[in-house]
This record gives sequence, structure tokens and C-alpha cells, in this order.
Amino acid sequence: MSVSLRAAQVALAAVLLGSWEAGTRTGVLDKFFFSRPTDIGARLVQWITSGSLWPHLATTLAEAALAFAIGVSLGVTAGFALGRTRWLADLLDPFLRIANALPRVVLAPLFLLWFGLGIWSKVALGVTVVFFVVFFNTFQGVRDVDPVLVNNVRMLGASERQLVRHVLIPSALTWIFSSLHISIGFAIISVVVGEYLGSSRGVGYLIAQAEGVFDTTGVFAGMAALAAVVLVVGAGVNRLERRLLRWKPRASEVHDRSERSGI
Amino acid sequence: MRDITLDVAAGSFLSIVGPSGCGKSTVLNLIAGLASPSSGRIAVSGEPLQGLNRHASYMFQQDALLPWKSVAANIGLGLELAGTDPREVRSRTAEWVERTGLRGFAGKFPHQLSGGMRKRVAMAQSWIVDPGIVLMDEPFSALDVHTRLRMGGEILNLWADSGKTVVFVTHDLEEAIALSGEVVVLSAGPASRIVGRYAVDLPRPRNLIDIKTEPRFHELYAAIWRDLRGEVLKSYER
Repeated sequence: MSVSLRAAQVALAAVLLGSWEAGTRTGVLDKFFFSRPTDIGARLVQWITSGSLWPHLATTLAEAALAFAIGVSLGVTAGFALGRTRWLADLLDPFLRIANALPRVVLAPLFLLWFGLGIWSKVALGVTVVFFVVFFNTFQGVRDVDPVLVNNVRMLGASERQLVRHVLIPSALTWIFSSLHISIGFAIISVVVGEYLGSSRGVGYLIAQAEGVFDTTGVFAGMAALAAVVLVVGAGVNRLERRLLRWKPRASEVHDRSERSGI
Repeated sequence: MRDITLDVAAGSFLSIVGPSGCGKSTVLNLIAGLASPSSGRIAVSGEPLQGLNRHASYMFQQDALLPWKSVAANIGLGLELAGTDPREVRSRTAEWVERTGLRGFAGKFPHQLSGGMRKRVAMAQSWIVDPGIVLMDEPFSALDVHTRLRMGGEILNLWADSGKTVVFVTHDLEEAIALSGEVVVLSAGPASRIVGRYAVDLPRPRNLIDIKTEPRFHELYAAIWRDLRGEVLKSYER
């Protein structure tokens, strides 16, 4: 990224935060409802220095990581199975559509009943979101393999297993990667939603607690902590993607035809 | 296609020409075993073909290189799939990289190469496995005229004294005559058949740059074009 673009981004952030700060100082914005950037920053510093933020952040990250790992493995497995077996895909198609159309948030109370207040009810909620994003992308990736590539590799003597290893997995990988950014974001969002609806730990719990006492500063501070985490994780995914997909032309269009799914 | 009987002598270089949509590629797919005939039979070295033709390698019209593998990995793929010792894969790949003029590009990915270079990689990929039969489906149709000429010459160099049988599909009659020992003309589809077979008695080794100015080349061209012309016109009408 060019330096001037980065400078412009920083300037834009400064203008937004500055006018927010100025608004609350001059009384245009009510501090009770909107808090204030300096207060939020002070709260974050207080959380960090007292160490009270870390257990919550660690819980949220652990839940998101578990949801992501389980969701991706299930999604990739199911995507491969259905991508390779036409009748299975045809059989399950309506059920998958119904399941994907379901707003996940309504599942949260059920998961709370089934898996309790601990981390697993949040992980389950995250899995239901991550699974579908990864599943649809893997499925497309396996289905969309260029038949010429398949024929070429078969003519060169590939067995079914070699075909999967040399053609189908790399081809699906590009699709899976294009969904990683979305699915990691979704994993974090959905576990936070789960925490928000019922838990005793986590950033979502932190936000819910603050909201319960009309502590807008606490709510914003929790959001800021989440945003920082998402940025860091996103940068990590970018690096991994550049490494694993270095065979791709740089200027290539990002083909992300993933069926988006929400909370 | 209907009533096609085509015997290809071992070690020969045969071209198939015909109007678009006449089933030229289908003939290759049948020989390769990628498609099976609705009736009739395919025999390779006298034995009926079942499944894929393990004696043949296939150079496709489209880009068929694996975009996620380097040039070297693409070239050595056939050997790797056959379970060849990795050291031998490396040394034979290096040899083919040299042979196809790709020195310095072994570590590049296909998208970093020009169209002509990608075709060289595809050529090395299909020849390295040392097949008895090489099938080529308009391999150079996407290239400019000069690169085509050069690639044609490289194919002839590879083929000369190799003892391999080449079946080459093209829509370019000049290319077919210049390269092959025999040209087969297919009629316009559907239900296409063989219109004629012509032995090309031009001496070898051939110089592709000058061959088109030789009188015998023109005679052959005129003779074959008489048949082909009618089929091309028919294919326009459909």
C-alpha cells in the first residue's frame, strides 16, 4: 500500500474521531449516549493495565478459534464429499438451503440449553456460520475445476487419489481462501453474539454488562478491542494467503462468489 | 461422426483437418479414451482400447497446465504421478527444460510465461513421459503466426527419429501439410466422415520457413483444398 494512501486513511480516522470528540465536548452529542473517544481510550488503557481485559479476550479468541477450526474442517469435508458425489448433493440440496436460510441468532438460546453457559454453546453457534461459508466455497471449488485440467492430469496417468491431491485440493483451496476472511470475521462475530446472549466471560459478556448499567464507554471500549483483534487476524490471513496462493496472477480479480451467510 | 475407419501407422505423423464442428477433437478424444464410441471399436497396437489410452499423451488446445505448479513441476508431473524416483524426475525435468528452451524459467508459474512458452511447457509435459502416441489438438491455434511456425519446427525436431506416432488436429491446412506425412480431411458435421486421405511426399527434414514456396507444396495444397473447400462451404450453410 502506498504511503500517501495510508496517510489519508489515518487522516480520515483522525477527522472522524476528532469531530466525535469535539461534538461531545461542545454538547452537540450527548456524552451519556455517545461516550467520547478519549474516555473510551482511557477505559481501554485501564482494562489493559489492570489486566481485566485479557481473560475476556482470551475466552472470545479461544471460542472463535474453535468455531473456526471445527467449521472449516466440517465445511471442507462436506464440500468435497458433495462436490464429488452428485446424487448426495442433489439429495441434500433443499435441506442445506433451509439450514443456511435460518437466522443463526435464534439458535443461540437452544445451544445455551444444550451446551450450557460455557464456551461450547458459543462455539456451536460459530460453527453453524463458518460451516456454510466454507462448505459452499469448497463445493464450488470442487465443482468448478476446469475439466481440461482434470483430463490432462488423467492422461498423464493420475489415479483418483492423485487427481484429488494435484488438482481438486489446490483448485478448491483458492475458493476456500477467498472465504477465509469472511469466515474468520463471522466466527468472531457469532461467538460474541453468543456471549452477549448468555455467558459469564468474553468480550460479548463485557459489552452486555456495560450495556446493563448504561455504560456506553464500556460498550464502545469492548467494540474497539474487538475491532483491533479482527484487524490483526485479518492481516495474518492476508500474509498466509499471499504465501499459499503465490502462483496466482497478482492483478487477478478476486473471485468471491461465495454464498454469504449472516448471523 | 459416422463410418469412420482410420488406421494410423506406428511412427507416422498424421494430421486431421476439417471445418469447425466436424469432430476433429472427438477423434482425438476417442483415441485417448476420454470418450468412448457409441458403436465401433478403437484398437491400439492391435488391442482393443479400454478406459484411458495408456500409450498416448495428449496436448490440449486450451491451457492445461496446472496454474499452481511451477514450470518444472508441471513438466515433471507425469513422471511424479508414475512414482518415478524424485532424483530422476529432477534430472529428466531439467533436461526437458533445456530441450524446450525454458532455461531460467523452471521456477516460474504458468501465468508468468508468454503463450508460446506455456505451449513449450505443455509440449515438454506430454513428451517427457515418453508415450508411443502423441495426440495434439490444435495446440498452437492461440499463437501468432511466427511463434506457430517455430513451435511446428520444434515439434518436428522432437518427432524426428523418435519413432512416435503423432496425430495432429488443426484447421490450418498449410500447417497440416508442412508438418505431416499424411493429411486426413473430415467432412462437415454432423455425421461427418472421411472425405479423403493424402500422402504428403515432401522430403524430410523439412524447413518450415521455406517449404511453403516449394511447387510440390502448392500442388498438394491445391489438391487437398479442392476437397476441403466443399466441406468448409457446407459448414457455412449449416
